[in-house]
Amino acid sequence: MKKGFRMMTALMAVCVTSAAVLTACSTKSNEPAKPSAGGAAQEAKPGSNLPPAELAMAFFTTSSQTQGIAAVQEELSKLTKAKINATVKLVPVSYGSYLQQMNLMQASGEKLDLFVSGLGQYSTQVAQGRLMPLDDLLNKYGSNIKKYVDAPFLDAARINGKLYSIPGIRDLASDRGIAMRKDLIDKYKIDVSKIKTFDDLDAVFKTIKDNEPGVTPLVSYQANSNPADTMLGTKFDNLDDGLGVMALDDSSLKVMNLYDNKFYTDTLNTVRRWYTAGYIPKDAAVTKDNANDLIKAGRAFSYFTTMKPGYAQQASRAAGKEIVTVSFSDPNIVTLNLTRFNWAISNNSKEPERAMMFLDLMYSDKDIINLLAWGIEGKDYVKKSDNMIDYPEGVTASTVQYGLNQGWLFGNQFLSYVFSPDPADLWQQMDKFNKGAIKSKALGFTPDMTSLKTESVAVMNVVNQYKNGLHTGTLDPQSVLPEFNKKLKDAGIDKIIAEKQKQLDEWAKTKKQ
Amino acid sequence: MGKTTKYGQWALHALFLLISAAALLPFLLLVSSSITDEQEIIKSGYSLFPSQISFAAYDYLMKDAEAILRSYGISVAVTVIGTIASLLMISLFAYPISRKDMPFRNGLSFYVFFTMLFNGGLVPTYYVYTQILDLKNTIWALIIPILLLNGFYVLLARTFFATSIPVPVIESAYIDGAGEFRIFFRIVMPLSLPILATIGLFQVIHYWNDWFNALIFVTDSKLFSLQYLLNKILLDIQFLSSSEMGGNQAEMIAALPKESVRMAMAVIGVIPILVSYPFFQKYFVKGLTVGAVKG
Repeated sequence: MKKGFRMMTALMAVCVTSAAVLTACSTKSNEPAKPSAGGAAQEAKPGSNLPPAELAMAFFTTSSQTQGIAAVQEELSKLTKAKINATVKLVPVSYGSYLQQMNLMQASGEKLDLFVSGLGQYSTQVAQGRLMPLDDLLNKYGSNIKKYVDAPFLDAARINGKLYSIPGIRDLASDRGIAMRKDLIDKYKIDVSKIKTFDDLDAVFKTIKDNEPGVTPLVSYQANSNPADTMLGTKFDNLDDGLGVMALDDSSLKVMNLYDNKFYTDTLNTVRRWYTAGYIPKDAAVTKDNANDLIKAGRAFSYFTTMKPGYAQQASRAAGKEIVTVSFSDPNIVTLNLTRFNWAISNNSKEPERAMMFLDLMYSDKDIINLLAWGIEGKDYVKKSDNMIDYPEGVTASTVQYGLNQGWLFGNQFLSYVFSPDPADLWQQMDKFNKGAIKSKALGFTPDMTSLKTESVAVMNVVNQYKNGLHTGTLDPQSVLPEFNKKLKDAGIDKIIAEKQKQLDEWAKTKKQ
Repeated sequence: MGKTTKYGQWALHALFLLISAAALLPFLLLVSSSITDEQEIIKSGYSLFPSQISFAAYDYLMKDAEAILRSYGISVAVTVIGTIASLLMISLFAYPISRKDMPFRNGLSFYVFFTMLFNGGLVPTYYVYTQILDLKNTIWALIIPILLLNGFYVLLARTFFATSIPVPVIESAYIDGAGEFRIFFRIVMPLSLPILATIGLFQVIHYWNDWFNALIFVTDSKLFSLQYLLNKILLDIQFLSSSEMGGNQAEMIAALPKESVRMAMAVIGVIPILVSYPFFQKYFVKGLTVGAVKG
């Protein structure tokens, strides 16, 4: 009896520990999509003398309409099978879990060849050795990438002289300006062509404030994009985090303290003037409302923002009211524009050559680009003219199966169709815009602040404490700015600036060689 | 009844009324915001009695009904299967180590205790569940990792079994010829309803509220749980409204009733817990007092 019990209880304990494993092994409710067999019977192409391969390609999605991805994957694999004898497995991951998933997939050695790097983590990922250096691969298999991506843009993705990712061809530059409601501009006969500088806006704001009760003249674009941010963006390259910046027109590569600068004080004074005159809402520093919603509800007149070709049409649709824009600066490009969403090859990829060949197609093959950008013709879109497309009969933005709308993510957007009602020459405009933009002299420099982590956190905390208050005019710069600067110095901003300057000088030296 | 006690009674009533109001009002505000017109929220903020009632948020969710209903189903299935499975696991582990005549009981208890304090971290966890057990993108990925066996509940149940199940009952069952499994399922489990209900309720809430497993182990949208879907929709809206989108996308975002959708999803998410709570309530009270009452 006693012995029987012992056996029994021991068995129970074993059950517990093994049950988890057993249930785990039982069934798998969902098999991963099999690589399509289609396209195997294609005629002989240059790719067919390569051994077959499968590429896993991860990217993020921000839409719930991802049902169409499986069909796109199948079509895509048919094309790539013929061209480089490889199938492509698309691994879409929700934006919210994307960085975490990439960390885990790479750390656990899951199959991953191509993925989108960036999202503020580019330099970290390079430092952790998770991205494959691409120079050799690019020279061998990336002739189209070299042809389509302008050399300075490609070089901007270099870290310590080595290339780890390929920037997309999309809206890389941006200019800063104001977006205003056209109905009110017309109503008060405001001459938009007379608005040249930020100071010309006082009169406009006054007209709105005096005549339109309930309409705020100027609101923040959204919670963390205040009027002063846009104004400062016309002058400075933030050098990654804004702690230590460089003037865009400065060729001597001098890192300086933004918060201790005359232009900064002037900007804050302007914003403060608007705030005290009642042109900016009283709760601007804390509100979470965004400009589009406020304009749609008829509560706001204008907002400052970063712009690009076609912006006014786009903003009009987003706000449900016609919008006119005035730009206050030439377009400019800083490093962050170029390292935001870049294609990288994972360091544990077993097929780096094939991955580069596929990347090369993503920058040059119109069929593949459009497949990834817009889905399948006839199902997800129909052609209206040579390069204009629209939804098919009965399909809308909220019912389309392949609703990613991320053409800017997949390589060369300028080879993709233009979706109506955007202007037909949108990509030509954009290309001109990019090429004509002022390039920061520090383009391609990404600082590594890990050695000053404590200081960075402390300084960031101080900035977060004051920024919204000062940048919306809620706090009086006269009394608060000295206090702000003292706290920044106490927290160690000078050390950060000195370190950044050192790194920037070293970077400049390597760049000349 | 004396006058002072009467006043005291009133004061207590008033206090508890206030406390209930503090608990109820935010929820009512949530419900009423979910049926407020989106423009109204932007114009005049949230209010308990909206002047413009609109079911646009629910309409919007109905458009996405397939995804939401599926995630609802996933969440319900995961909660039911997960709670039953974990109750079984927990009691099957806790009961043996509560018996004084079980070999290695201290070692096994320590094993539970140790895992409460230390674990391998996220990457090894992910590695084991995806590469060795191959659970990624299966429904088991929402049930087994992290949630199935909670060390704290094992110790809680062990204490209950050790203190509230009299050894003579087990011995007399032996004498009547019952085997270990019969004793466990026919005598010990029915006697332990309070602790099972208590742990069960906690597990229901854990499983219902869980979004982390979906974040880590699931990329297939067919398997998103409700809470993760809610989380994802919020993050997507955040991303979309912070970036400049071309053409069609801009229109879609403009039409989105953002605030009220959030509220409506929270309302939908909380209903099952509201419904299930009363059924657990009586065990819950009993279960929590266990350990304080001896004999």
